[in-house]
Amino acid sequence: MNCEEYRHRIAADPSFDGGAGHLSGCQACQAFRNEVLLLDDKIARAMQIDVPTLRLPELPAIDADNVVPLAARRPRARPAWFALAATVLLAAVVGVRMFGVGVTYESLADEVLAHLDHEPASLRPSTIPVSDKQLASAVPANVARLDHDAGLITYARSCEINGRTVPHLVIQGEHGPITILLMPEEAIAEAVSLDGENTHGVILPVGDGSIAIIGAREEKLERVEKSVLNSVMWST
Amino acid sequence: MNKISAETGRRRRFDQIVAVFHADMYRYAAWLCRDKAIAEDVVQEAMLRAWKSLDALRDDAAAKQWLLTIVRRENARYFERRRLETVDIDNLTASQAALLAEGPDEELNDLRESIFELDDDYREPLVLQVLMGYSTTEIGEMMGLKQGAVLTRLHRARLKLKENVAQEDRL
Repeated sequence: MNCEEYRHRIAADPSFDGGAGHLSGCQACQAFRNEVLLLDDKIARAMQIDVPTLRLPELPAIDADNVVPLAARRPRARPAWFALAATVLLAAVVGVRMFGVGVTYESLADEVLAHLDHEPASLRPSTIPVSDKQLASAVPANVARLDHDAGLITYARSCEINGRTVPHLVIQGEHGPITILLMPEEAIAEAVSLDGENTHGVILPVGDGSIAIIGAREEKLERVEKSVLNSVMWST
Repeated sequence: MNKISAETGRRRRFDQIVAVFHADMYRYAAWLCRDKAIAEDVVQEAMLRAWKSLDALRDDAAAKQWLLTIVRRENARYFERRRLETVDIDNLTASQAALLAEGPDEELNDLRESIFELDDDYREPLVLQVLMGYSTTEIGEMMGLKQGAVLTRLHRARLKLKENVAQEDRL
């Protein structure tokens, strides 16, 4: 082993204990090794950033017989008994009941609610708007155009609903965060109401797609609905 | 075992695992995404995923790697379909800067910034090795790389940091 080989190995893995023969006769590599060990100690200390207090998300009840990863959910391909079981489970977890949900729409509402449950971090009150860049990334121009009239957007992500990537936005209402899911390819024939103990919402048909809007029970969503409908235009 | 005690046992097992590895999950997420708020989101998502698939974890001795793999996937999901952004160290958002909260040791602060600036390809194996204690073989498995590629990345990462430290010393 020569100096170059030894230094390559020790810099890649300071615990490397080979090359003892070379090391014992090479002062330069001994010095290099000591430098690397010293540096590694500092790297380890520099990486020890402060950790926030453990905050567990709301964990849904698990029925081990019916565990299906969210990403794998495809309501239309799912047997009827499973759709029913999932609805009951969600109602138990988020305390939401769905009204006006027909057979065709049940899986969409189910998926929307499951998604909210899956992304609780989106529902933090905030006064910090997302950057234009982040918004443009979550709402690509080929999916929808969004005016700034929609409200203070504090969260914007691309999420998966029914196997399709859709923009997930959160605006700040008078009574807390309001979730908006823009679903240009989820056509529904009529509005679907979502009603819960602390939340309420609606999935509105918009052109060939739909928009879900869900906020706190006290929130007057009619105003938000109007504003969102005026702000969004499908590009597809 | 009846259903209630099975659920309680499941919850207890989850709580124990998360309590032990929460700090590792957060630090790994934070060094991957370099943003405090996103790291917290990623960890929350990862915990939910872990809870839902806890039954897939057969051996609690493998819990750390299992959780870190979930964090890695959640982080990738977060940035899926997004262009990878370069972090400009002189123009950080509040959430990015929060990770670099300065301590009294100036040398350590500079080094933290240098790690922060490393390319993802170099920073991640370094975090897995130095902070998480994985061997280069294990890192290769986690990142889907051959051991040779892992060694090269680690070597380059350290040389870059060594160079930066030397540069700071000269200033």
